[in-house]
Amino acid sequence: MKGKDLVKFFAVVAVIAIMTYLAFAPNGTEIPGIGTIPSAYDIRQAADLKGGIDALLAPKDKDGKAYEPTNDELNQAKSIIEHRLDAKGVLDRVVAVDYSKKRLTVQIPLKKGTTIEDPGSTIEDLGKMALLTFREIDETKAAAGELVAVSGDPILEGKNVKKAHYQQDPQDGSHDVAIELDDEGTKKFAEATSRLINKRIGIFMDDMLLSAPNVRVAITDGKCVIEGQDTVEEAVRLAQDIQAGAMPFKLDAESTSSISPILGSNALSVGITSGIVAFILVCLFMLLFYRLPGTLACIALLGHTVMQLLAISWLNITMSLPGIAGIILSIGMGVDANVIIFERVKEEIASGKTLRSAIDVGFKRAFTAVLDGNSTTLISAAVLLYFGTGPIKSFAYTLIVGVILSFLTAVTASRIMLQSVAGLNIAKHKWLYGVKGVKEQNG
Amino acid sequence: MVDIIGKRYWFFGLSILVILAGVVGYFVHGGFNLDIQFEGGSIISLQMEDGNFDTAKAEEEVSKAINKKVTAQKSETAASEGKEKIHMLVLNVAEKKQSLSSEELSKVVDTVNKNFTIKKDTQPEIRNVSPFIGEELLRSALWSVFIVSILIILYIWFRFRTMSGGPSAGVFGVVGLIHDALVMISVYAIFNIPVNESFIAAILTILGYSMNDTIVIYDRIRENSRLSRKTPIAELANASIIQTLRRTINTTVTVLISVITVYAFAAYYNIESVKVFTLPLIVGMVSGCYSSIFIATPLWVMWKQREAKKPTVSKA
Repeated sequence: MKGKDLVKFFAVVAVIAIMTYLAFAPNGTEIPGIGTIPSAYDIRQAADLKGGIDALLAPKDKDGKAYEPTNDELNQAKSIIEHRLDAKGVLDRVVAVDYSKKRLTVQIPLKKGTTIEDPGSTIEDLGKMALLTFREIDETKAAAGELVAVSGDPILEGKNVKKAHYQQDPQDGSHDVAIELDDEGTKKFAEATSRLINKRIGIFMDDMLLSAPNVRVAITDGKCVIEGQDTVEEAVRLAQDIQAGAMPFKLDAESTSSISPILGSNALSVGITSGIVAFILVCLFMLLFYRLPGTLACIALLGHTVMQLLAISWLNITMSLPGIAGIILSIGMGVDANVIIFERVKEEIASGKTLRSAIDVGFKRAFTAVLDGNSTTLISAAVLLYFGTGPIKSFAYTLIVGVILSFLTAVTASRIMLQSVAGLNIAKHKWLYGVKGVKEQNG
Repeated sequence: MVDIIGKRYWFFGLSILVILAGVVGYFVHGGFNLDIQFEGGSIISLQMEDGNFDTAKAEEEVSKAINKKVTAQKSETAASEGKEKIHMLVLNVAEKKQSLSSEELSKVVDTVNKNFTIKKDTQPEIRNVSPFIGEELLRSALWSVFIVSILIILYIWFRFRTMSGGPSAGVFGVVGLIHDALVMISVYAIFNIPVNESFIAAILTILGYSMNDTIVIYDRIRENSRLSRKTPIAELANASIIQTLRRTINTTVTVLISVITVYAFAAYYNIESVKVFTLPLIVGMVSGCYSSIFIATPLWVMWKQREAKKPTVSKA
């Protein structure tokens, strides 16, 4: 092996070794000046691996008939659900709006040990019509730092709000929410504000306090402004929530799935074990059939697999059970390019070429077939990504990442390693390449 | 040399037999067994304290509570940690196309809680899909199969446009893919396996992957036809198949090793969602390898031979 080849070979091995280390570092790896590189342990897990509730919510009117919401209304609904989850302390959730299908998806993770005994009622609670109320704040309790409403009828209800929107004060530039009330609301509010000057009125969604502005003057024309929110976002959100108080629909679950964390983690460990077993079996197969290049293919496969894990972790792709199946499938597909190339190299050796030129020609001639084969798989995976839902999307992602990486490692890592090893004297035995006789291959 | 092209009708026959069996299965079972994901319905699994519970009683009590027909089953699963078994009570709303409201779901869980011991600190597993959303999902799934087929035809046509008969190669490559999809569907119809989104995902994966083997063979035909222009197409194709046979089979074997491993683990630990995903992949992989060698290439050869016989073509 010449010095240059030696360097190349060990450079590739070193890169793969580093990647492997990065992929399996339990808490990620901190690199000064760059930040933390997340490892396989940081991969985000879908409900089917860690347990949780997935629900698809559709807007329905009071009588349970389908309701056609506007995009604004969908955003309001999303905000309400987020508030309700905040109130339950569920922060690691995903609430997403599908504007074209007019639906919301909610994903609530469940950690091992925590229990939501009844997913049905949880979802039902989330989808209830929002109840927005303006209530008088109990000043005796407020003195103790607790902002709660006095009992009794609310001053206003969500239905009294005609409009609520964000505006910026032209004089001091503060972020405000302007509210317009209907006739009934105007009357009630005039009475309450004249009674409660210099006291506070709380705006509640369900039982959660959104804001508790001070009353400065009696408001008799049904138009008021809540002043002094800290940021634009806060003010916009408050306006949205107050507006949502008049949301004329509830959200019904069209599909619900709930998976227990115990079964989820069970599935995860089964998935990991089967991945390791599959990896070992594929490597054994490659060793038996392709000997020396097979060994190199296994090293490249390790590189491909750990890079895939790193990519998934780094791109923050959510991993599901089908996603794990996708990784394991990629292990099997990952050596395909190698098989095609090595078979070609064997043929070239058999046709009497020297080892070095056989390797060069083999890689070159097999290239188009490998490229085309990977491209069609990529087409399928891309369409799947577009049409698939939840867990299937995760499969499509892993497949795309896997196909691209396997193509790259086959034409780079395998090739560099094989070329440099070919310079080695011992490596020149044809047996090592699985070539039987020179003549019989010439068909 | 083995004459694959010459014996092509035997291989066509075998495929037709499988697909016919699928058609028979379809009518015997009265259509496909659509999973609740596509048809709508409810399945609720509860982890129980032990295996001592009466499914008949569970059926009766839950039906009463929600006023819908319910079937109950027991299932036992090995846990990956420890030797303890996981006992599940699986409740299925018996009439398909009936999903439960959130309220009804709560009632089901309450009723079971009242009558039996649900294991502490466990969550019920629920799959509840309204028929409407299922139909929508099915429609988009079928669309995606259609779009993938079109895109692959275009791609193959583009890549093989320099090969004489490239476009037809693309078309017959896709005939091979359709064959694979049909075989997968047939196996599902024969064994009445529930069809869901994973099945569609498996079909799409196979459509993309199965093309690999066909491309390897086509690629070799393309290369060989440059080397020897006078060899008859049938001979050329046959030689190309034989020369690439080992890689066609080995690429499939490596993938099969992985997928069968996953299936075996999923079957042992009873992870249904992985089982229903990997089984069609296995069927599709085998079929894809078979169709590349025995269907797509021989059909394309027949097409080329017919073209060559046309009197308008001056020289073959």
